[in-house]
Amino acid sequence: MNSSSGQSSGYDLSFKILLIGDSAVGKSSLLVSFISNSAEDIAPTIGVDFKIKMLTVGGKRLKLTIWDTAGQERFRTLTSSYYRGAQGIILVYDVTRRDTFTNLSEVWSKEVELYSTNQNCVKMLVGNKVDRDSERVVSKEEGLALAEELGCLFFECSAKTRENVERCFEELALKIMEVPSLLEEGSTAVKRNILKQQQEQPQASEFGGCCS
Amino acid sequence: MEPHASSFVSKARTAFHSAAAKAERVLTDFKIDLDSDKQFHDDDFGMQRGDESARSENESKFRNELKHIKWRPPGIGTKQDWQDRINNIRKGRKEVEVTDKVGDVNVGSVPFYDENLYILNVKNDLDAKASEAIPTVEGLTAATKHPIPPSSVLKQLAIAIEAGRQTNSMKDFVASSPAREKAGLSISSVKALVLREKEDKLTSEFSSDEKVVYLINSLFDQEGEFLRRKINSDPEETSISSLPRDIHGAPPESLVVKLAEVIGNFKTLRGMSLFWSRVVDELRKHWSEEKHLLGVPPDDIPDLKSCLLYQQFQVINCCISRKRRHIIAIESLDSMVMEANSNTSDSANYMGRIPTSPLLYARLRTGELVLRLGADCPSGDLTLLETGEPAYSPVTQEGPLLTEDLIKETEEFVLRTGSVGAGCSQLLSDMQAFKAANPGCILEDFVRWYSPPDWMESEGSTEDRDSFYGGESMSSRGQLSLRMQKEGNLWRELWETSKSVPAVKQTPLYDEDLAVEGILDAFEDIQPSELYRQLFVSLLGLGFAIAETMLSGDIDTSKLFNDCKEYIVTTSQSDGFHEKVNELVQMYETVEKMLLNPDKALKMMKHMEESTMTTDEPKRRFSTGEPKHRFKRFSHIFGGKDKLLTPVRKDEVNDEEKQIRHSFSSFFDSKSSLFSKKPPKPGNLYPGEQPLSLERLDSYLDKVQFHPI
Repeated sequence: MNSSSGQSSGYDLSFKILLIGDSAVGKSSLLVSFISNSAEDIAPTIGVDFKIKMLTVGGKRLKLTIWDTAGQERFRTLTSSYYRGAQGIILVYDVTRRDTFTNLSEVWSKEVELYSTNQNCVKMLVGNKVDRDSERVVSKEEGLALAEELGCLFFECSAKTRENVERCFEELALKIMEVPSLLEEGSTAVKRNILKQQQEQPQASEFGGCCS
Repeated sequence: MEPHASSFVSKARTAFHSAAAKAERVLTDFKIDLDSDKQFHDDDFGMQRGDESARSENESKFRNELKHIKWRPPGIGTKQDWQDRINNIRKGRKEVEVTDKVGDVNVGSVPFYDENLYILNVKNDLDAKASEAIPTVEGLTAATKHPIPPSSVLKQLAIAIEAGRQTNSMKDFVASSPAREKAGLSISSVKALVLREKEDKLTSEFSSDEKVVYLINSLFDQEGEFLRRKINSDPEETSISSLPRDIHGAPPESLVVKLAEVIGNFKTLRGMSLFWSRVVDELRKHWSEEKHLLGVPPDDIPDLKSCLLYQQFQVINCCISRKRRHIIAIESLDSMVMEANSNTSDSANYMGRIPTSPLLYARLRTGELVLRLGADCPSGDLTLLETGEPAYSPVTQEGPLLTEDLIKETEEFVLRTGSVGAGCSQLLSDMQAFKAANPGCILEDFVRWYSPPDWMESEGSTEDRDSFYGGESMSSRGQLSLRMQKEGNLWRELWETSKSVPAVKQTPLYDEDLAVEGILDAFEDIQPSELYRQLFVSLLGLGFAIAETMLSGDIDTSKLFNDCKEYIVTTSQSDGFHEKVNELVQMYETVEKMLLNPDKALKMMKHMEESTMTTDEPKRRFSTGEPKHRFKRFSHIFGGKDKLLTPVRKDEVNDEEKQIRHSFSSFFDSKSSLFSKKPPKPGNLYPGEQPLSLERLDSYLDKVQFHPI
């Protein structure tokens, strides 16, 4: 990656990340917590939503496009489109609701297998709401075991207290960068975007500013 | 056969006009005619002149003569018959001279004789080209006894991919080598007009050719028996299914694979393109007649791991199924409403739900009965909070059928605009359907059905009587989640906006007609290299899938096969696909030879591998990470850029491609009889008929033009 192309786009790599899991496990809260340090209640997602975050890990400047999906079953057809081309997929469950954990292997891992077009994508299991320890019904050991079975990274976190939130996304990004084919996709996306911008704005003086 | 006659008549007309151009006065008239023609787009030069009747009569005689020639069996006809025929034509010319008022036009008999022979030669050429270029159903069926499709078919597709990269439209193939029109030169204008007319004739001829019709019928109408090969998938079912998808091809036995085999058997790029147009016409016909495509699942959502062409075929079939269901659903709803209306007149006698009646009613708090519309089935044990009636899941609209290109477009649209329209549209549609199926419902009822985690049951509500008291019932039984109660929540706004409309009566979220028209238009305008690449990959996948089962029993050939397989998976997924098409063909040829002559093929490959180990070459890296050792050696053997040392034919050491071919040639020389059945090698890059006929026409016109007056 030469420096001129890096300067013109403001980042070195661009990755697509997808958040999936049952409704109300805290996917949207997790995302908002990561993006803006906020911990408020988020209205249920309708269909899909996305946030863009600039991040620096491992000496590289990354642009993460993070897609948030509605967990309700009726939205599954609509959200299945967004698995395509994702380099990272985060499967979220609620440690205070066992059915959300059970559905990871019964529903969501099957969705990934069915709709993901990237065989090498990095998957991460995330148990949310650990701040409610008194209501916990899924132990950390159970989470670890399932993650190992599904071939996923594993983290427990709390969107409310922001425990482990940043670490989740950073670790995911690092793992994506370790996969050669995904790294290639990440830099290809940047080059394509640069070319597109140059066509749209031949006289543009500078590119800058992060998406909030 | 009539189109042939009219084609020749147009050439004859050209000849007449060319001959007439020699006279000074006639040439002047010709120019005037040309101007007039440009203004009125009249193809008949000179037909408006004073000698119109004479020319018309003469053409009529000539047309009759043509028919006579055509119907006569070839080879029958003595020299004397020809002389008589020529004499008759000469007499016709003399009659014209006698009545010609514009002066003497002295045309020698020799040029006229050439005209005659020229027309016959053109006819023979066209017939020969047509019979050679179009494959037959019988020929293709016979080829299925070959374990895998012949590599010549794959080669033809590879040639088409390469040629197609230089053009954006399939129409360019049909109109290849167009005549260049020069301003002011009437002869050139005539040539262009004649060629254009000729191409139109040839296109319509192609579609009505009986071989083409038979091919189309076999592809689309038979019970799936056409081009069927035995694939023993029992022992290796999992691995069989993975290969075509790994390379983004199409399932074995699918319509795409059969289409690839048919199109790959055409000898000319023009024929391939014309056949594709014919296929698109047939797809339009199937869609308008609501007939499913064979070799494609009738009701599956697009499989994103298959090629785009296959996904689009899936969408066509799925849309046909949906249209059928939609018609049935509307008829069912309409008849239900009619029945309910007829029951209304007897409402005085109605004192409860009739057990055998298919009509479903819900009683409101006022005691009024309202017909449920679009109710599917009871939603578990749920009851409506205010009325106590059972809650029904409604029939809902089906989701969009997105192929990979539309998914990409949709995602880019959402990224660019931040739109949440798709989700909101679906949510609104579901709310309206729920209201129609559950009269008297409230938002809380919908949420309990749609998003159970957003309903919080309160504890201790054990009295059934409480459920009949409105406000008290709600507060005592449960409440919406905190996030759902928030101010400005879009769910509540949509709920208040939604009307009671069953799904079949709603504006469609996904318009089947629009979707399929988009696909068929895309087929017509498809970039040639994009079409042929998908057909190539699909046929490649079929060959390897079949070979895998046949070779799995033998350890040695199985290892060699797996190296080939790994290579094609890596290459097909890479960005440099177009540069490696020829390598993929060679891989396929290797597998083909493994099946036909496994022992010697194995020896040859081992020999080549050993010779490779003696070279000192830099290691190549692949994007998928650390390749296997055998894989490395294999890529050396077939890598176009690598120089390969081999004891065979040392004098060719610098020409690797020839080298490899020669190696294989010498290897199989002793078994040439085994391959005598091989189909002929693919023809030239461009159709041979076009430049040939153009050359002949030019040659003839030159002779005529320079003939002394």
